[in-house]
Amino acid sequence: MTQIASQPTSKRLTVRTIALLLIPILLLAGVIALFLFTGGGLNLDSPAPVENINVEKYILKRNNIDLYIRNTGPQDLTIASVIINDAVMPFTVSPHPTIPRLGRAQIHVNYAWNQGEAYGITIFTGNAIPFAVDIPVAFETPQPSGRTFLGFTLIGLYVGVIPVFLGIFWFPALRQLGRRTMTFLMAATAGLLIFLGLDTIAEALEVAARVPSAFQGIGLIGIGAVATFLLLDAISKSQTEVQGTESERRLAVALMIAIGIGFHNLGEGLAIGAAYNVGEIALGTFLVVGFIIQNITEGLGIIAPVLRDRPTLGRLALMGLIGGGPAILGAWIGGYTPSPFLGVLFLAIGTGAIFEVVYEIAKLIQKDTARESMPMTVFSGILTGMLLLWVTGLLIK
Amino acid sequence: MKPLSRRDFLKVGGLAFLGTAGATALTQQKPGHVHEDPNVHSAHTMQQGDHGDLPGTVGEVDHEKNGFNPTDTLTDFDYGEVSTLPDGQTLREYKIVALNKNIEVVPGIEFPAWTYNGRIPGPTIRATEGDRIRIHFSNGSNHPHSMHFHGFHPGEMDGVPGSGSGGLVEPGGSFTYEFNAEPFGLHLYHCHVFPLARHIAKGLYGTFIIDPKEGRPAVDREMVMVMNGLDVDFDDANDFYAVNGIPFHYQNHPIQIRVGEKIRIYLVNILEFDFVNSFHLHANFFNYFPTGTSLIPSEFTDTIIQGQAQRGILEFTYKYPGMYMFHAHVTEFAELGWNGMFEVMA
Repeated sequence: MTQIASQPTSKRLTVRTIALLLIPILLLAGVIALFLFTGGGLNLDSPAPVENINVEKYILKRNNIDLYIRNTGPQDLTIASVIINDAVMPFTVSPHPTIPRLGRAQIHVNYAWNQGEAYGITIFTGNAIPFAVDIPVAFETPQPSGRTFLGFTLIGLYVGVIPVFLGIFWFPALRQLGRRTMTFLMAATAGLLIFLGLDTIAEALEVAARVPSAFQGIGLIGIGAVATFLLLDAISKSQTEVQGTESERRLAVALMIAIGIGFHNLGEGLAIGAAYNVGEIALGTFLVVGFIIQNITEGLGIIAPVLRDRPTLGRLALMGLIGGGPAILGAWIGGYTPSPFLGVLFLAIGTGAIFEVVYEIAKLIQKDTARESMPMTVFSGILTGMLLLWVTGLLIK
Repeated sequence: MKPLSRRDFLKVGGLAFLGTAGATALTQQKPGHVHEDPNVHSAHTMQQGDHGDLPGTVGEVDHEKNGFNPTDTLTDFDYGEVSTLPDGQTLREYKIVALNKNIEVVPGIEFPAWTYNGRIPGPTIRATEGDRIRIHFSNGSNHPHSMHFHGFHPGEMDGVPGSGSGGLVEPGGSFTYEFNAEPFGLHLYHCHVFPLARHIAKGLYGTFIIDPKEGRPAVDREMVMVMNGLDVDFDDANDFYAVNGIPFHYQNHPIQIRVGEKIRIYLVNILEFDFVNSFHLHANFFNYFPTGTSLIPSEFTDTIIQGQAQRGILEFTYKYPGMYMFHAHVTEFAELGWNGMFEVMA
């Protein structure tokens, strides 16, 4: 390919070029056909059936257990037996006990489970391969109702919206500060974001482990993060090309910080909603207080770039909503349809967005330090930002 | 996630289920085969209400394809091909072949079994004390196997590797085991090729009954029950439990008897991987003859425990008509398949 490209031939796409491009593809088709029909001299039959099941979620209702599963193995599989706590139970599978590759099914069992007890479920496929499902604590799965909807909304509100707005309320006070302090705050914001970015990527990796292997969770993180980073970078560059006033630019950065933090909070909401649903998290008052204290710094980060400007109240409110609101959305999604796939995607986007914003802030800081050298301010600012989240994080973990 | 204490839960929850199962098993409808009708069948046709469904399988295994039906296994005593030797001794000859065979043990799950004559358990060999037993054993599988009988016999007839050519019969090979049937009692036979637990757990076992010369007191019905386990995923732990091969068979197909009939059960425990098995009879007591080597019962009880390869004879009579459960009082075995019903008719 490189040889062809380097030859000083006509740059237009001729029939000859198209034909040359097609040759490897035709050869590829031939090789695939050879393998499909002859096995290419290899014995490709697996000595034992390879099967895999992903349990995407379970729903517990009175006297009912529903398992939502996906066949993530290489071929069809059939659900043959369901054993709950060492008892073979009658069950139904819809739409069909035989699930195609990457297909989904719902296993239904009439089972008189007890509140607060642990259940171990074994699903046997027709090839006698067992898959275990653990229900660590059994309790009625919240169904979309007015009450649970309000509950998840409140969780998102406490964890995301309120803290971000509390942080924004510092705006009038911080405006009184000098240029050097403002730069310090910007550096602190960068520190906060670096910490949040690491946190987000760690969480993405954790959730990626639960994504069916066919969907390649780690690859998904790479795609989501890199694409978001480059897209935001491109948007920011095209903006500066069109309109270049410094304050508009800072406002744009603030908005992007809000978007980045918004994605982070979406991921946080997803995780909290999903954990709340499977009983892994008791959202104690202490934990909520911890989230509020930690996330108040996010509001601070959003306003840091625009402290020397005069953004309207509406703008500030909008940025607060963009930064905090997604926590509510995340709690809804995580609470009602926990999906590791979506979780990884959102967290990856959050990672890309956050690091792009760090890059933007770094450019702003660079402009400030070009006018007045203050290396220790930047160093201490970034470290302060990171330490702030680490210390407040002690309250949550 | 914290580890579950499944056994602990079962001891509470399991008993509660069993209490109601006896009363409701009769009313269960027999749903269609799981492969044919995945949606309509089920669950919902069974007793439900406040307690969810009862443990059990839905649908029916393919007995015809399996080549045996546990309902028939109860009573198909194999007396062999009988002739008389020149010295007047009765000769009983049997042809037994070891075969690999896929057996549908639970609707939808095929167990790649190793079998004697294509069935689990193998044929019930029955003779009278002092008879000459001649077993023409051939190995039609792709693993070496043997037949090891419990009872008196010369060392070279022991069917254990190292005891001679009968100790390990190669694929395609054959051997004739020959010995006198003694002592009288309830015995068993199984493959003794190593790894032993796997060769037995895969299905190579059967009942060996030697009647006393003068016979046992007459009864109305005799039945064989071989308590076995099924390790379908080969992790050296049983996934299902059964009597005569198929989990829940006598729960789905109650054994019909009559009030006042004298019943004799030849009960053999061939369970691997679990130390004990047990038999509990509801609403009744039975005389128990351990190993069947005495005509005087050792115990009058309603529950007995058997370790691996232990066996004994049970005799009882029902006073009242009704549906009566019998099951392992190791209750987790019961809910994993070792559960059955007597339907006692007036």
